[in-house]
Amino acid sequence: MKKIVIFSLIALLSIGSVFAAGTKESVPAQKTVTVFGAFVDEEARRFEEAIRPFEERTGIKVVYEGSKDFETLINVRVEGGNAPDIAGLPQPGLMANFASQGKLVPLWPSALALLEKNYAPVWKDLGSYKGVAYGVFHRVNAKSFVWYPKKAWDAAGYQVPKTWDELKALMDRMVRNGHTPWAVGIESGGATGWVGTDWIEDIMLRTAGPDVYDKWVGNEIPFNAPEVKKAFEILGDIWMNPKYVYGGRNTILTEGFGDSQRPLFDNPPKAWMHRQANFITGFFPEHIQANLEEEVGVFPLPAIDPKWGIPVLGGGDQFVVFNDRPEVREFMEYLQTWESAESWAKAGGALFPYLNQNLDAYPNAIERSLAEALVNAKVFRFDASDLMPASVGAGSFWEGIVDWVNGKSLDATLADIQKSWPK
Amino acid sequence: MNNRKAAIAINTALLILVVIWFIPILGLFISSFRPRDYVLTTGWWTAFTKNRIFTLDNYRQVLGGTKYTFVDALGNTVRSSGDNLSQAFINSFTVTIPSVIIPILIAAAAAYGFAWMVFPGRKFFFTSVVALLVVPLQIALIPILRDYQKIGLTGSYLGIWLAHTGFGLPLSIYLLYNYISTIPRSIFESAYLDGARQIVVFARLVLPLSIPAIASLAIFQFLWVWNDLLVALVFLGGTADVAVLTQRLATMIGSRGQDWHLLTAGAFVSMVVPLAVFFSLQRYFVEGLMAGSVKG
Repeated sequence: MKKIVIFSLIALLSIGSVFAAGTKESVPAQKTVTVFGAFVDEEARRFEEAIRPFEERTGIKVVYEGSKDFETLINVRVEGGNAPDIAGLPQPGLMANFASQGKLVPLWPSALALLEKNYAPVWKDLGSYKGVAYGVFHRVNAKSFVWYPKKAWDAAGYQVPKTWDELKALMDRMVRNGHTPWAVGIESGGATGWVGTDWIEDIMLRTAGPDVYDKWVGNEIPFNAPEVKKAFEILGDIWMNPKYVYGGRNTILTEGFGDSQRPLFDNPPKAWMHRQANFITGFFPEHIQANLEEEVGVFPLPAIDPKWGIPVLGGGDQFVVFNDRPEVREFMEYLQTWESAESWAKAGGALFPYLNQNLDAYPNAIERSLAEALVNAKVFRFDASDLMPASVGAGSFWEGIVDWVNGKSLDATLADIQKSWPK
Repeated sequence: MNNRKAAIAINTALLILVVIWFIPILGLFISSFRPRDYVLTTGWWTAFTKNRIFTLDNYRQVLGGTKYTFVDALGNTVRSSGDNLSQAFINSFTVTIPSVIIPILIAAAAAYGFAWMVFPGRKFFFTSVVALLVVPLQIALIPILRDYQKIGLTGSYLGIWLAHTGFGLPLSIYLLYNYISTIPRSIFESAYLDGARQIVVFARLVLPLSIPAIASLAIFQFLWVWNDLLVALVFLGGTADVAVLTQRLATMIGSRGQDWHLLTAGAFVSMVVPLAVFFSLQRYFVEGLMAGSVKG
């Protein structure tokens, strides 16, 4: 009999706590906006910090939830009828999916006005599906940057190259000095290869220009078109030359993308340049991060064809609305203003696309110059692999890079990627 | 002589297996005490030769929350620290304990019914339950979420208990059935002769006799629920007030995995509870594994 008593006690207790939990949640405390996104931990903190002025001013509570499994979960939750009020989608393709299913709320007139006023037109296009604007960008990243160890460069007398020819001359000069120009690593777990796709995209923009780039993204020119092949060949001139890359092709394949910058900061440096997006600073060794301005230099990957200037390749999360409520609209409009970004910009580690931003807010000269490059870029393009269908952009393109570095012929690699394009 | 040779062979094989399994764990353990830059640049095996630098910083960050520096709207620099793990521990326990007890109680009753009660369709129902073992839970996520949404169970603890109960029941029933059906018939007959009702037989005979099987099942279910990330993310959500330990650990490495060295310490922190559960129930576990293996 004792057992029964114990078990019914446990059962009662569990039921009791259910009701306790239930009542706790059913109290409508204040207006709340739920935001679901892919950035977590420190970045989530920065975001919460950045939106605090909004919460204090309006009394609306914004609950941010970040998850590393965002791409899976957002689909499950939207399908399951549990969509957040606002979601930050990392890929424009994801936005197009939801928009085509009619799950998203199109931007309303006052938000559209802000979009026109505060952003360059390219951001509106990236947030639009079939001519209707849905998304607004907040924090973005820019990828076309080359990082170098400043002190060692100064000691060796190296100059920042302004053109591709200067870059090549610099690489050869480094080799003559017994230095290895590049540190490259493309390992990234299941996403291994994306570093290479970024390089290719950057070179495509510099050789073929934005219009061809757009056609390439939409597969209006095939993946094995001469323009794409040329970009691979230019990259191959660097990557496939063991004198140019620290550790050669083996290291390219096996070194984690985040750790691959480490040889720059050995003493003496084992490699002298590293091309990566602005977020790479978070991976630098701690003593480098502490003195970023003194230790690190950065320049945009130089132009190849002067016709196209220095294009900037980037990415970013766009916020879209699933549930239309006045407080949700109010928060979306807040996200479209520089005010929502300023404290995050001051904290560092993030770039923002706002036209009217105050560049002095960025904490150091490096981030200021990155933001400047982003805002002033005549040509800005979104990461092509995020725009292509997932089976290519997050599949065969990555794998193609790996196969190619592994020794597969360029023609076969490109033909295989083209074959994998969904019909 | 042959026996001894065999024993030596088996022991050597076991020893090799244990060492192979243990080396990565040892590496993880040593790494968890090393500073970030050393974890990223040198192997853990160098920790006792050239790089003899150890720190508790990883554990401090995992347990006490990562430290951030902010500049607030007025331009003041504010140091703030992330949430510590205590809330996540409480959430994990809140999710796990009922999610272990509820399915086991239901499963024991069901197993008793399937094993010893005669009712029409018994074989059919039991087969359907066993067939559910092969259905992956992922396909049930969206339909269940839709139903939960209608009755307001999303984001509540009751919702996730029921979800874990449902996902855990087929295996629990099957395991307990195998054990309970091996209890000698004579025990039941004498109880029935004495006039005991089914509920009394279940509570005073079946449950106490099945303790080994229940304990081993409890370990399985506990480990599964404790380590679960997907079900919790879908049904409970990941906001700070309900996030379970696995969710906190998953976000701890940062958006781009730049802080993965923290996982070394995180792994051991999250391992403590399952290890404690395992060792406290281990006595039953070995007996329980045998449970139902030879049906007489």
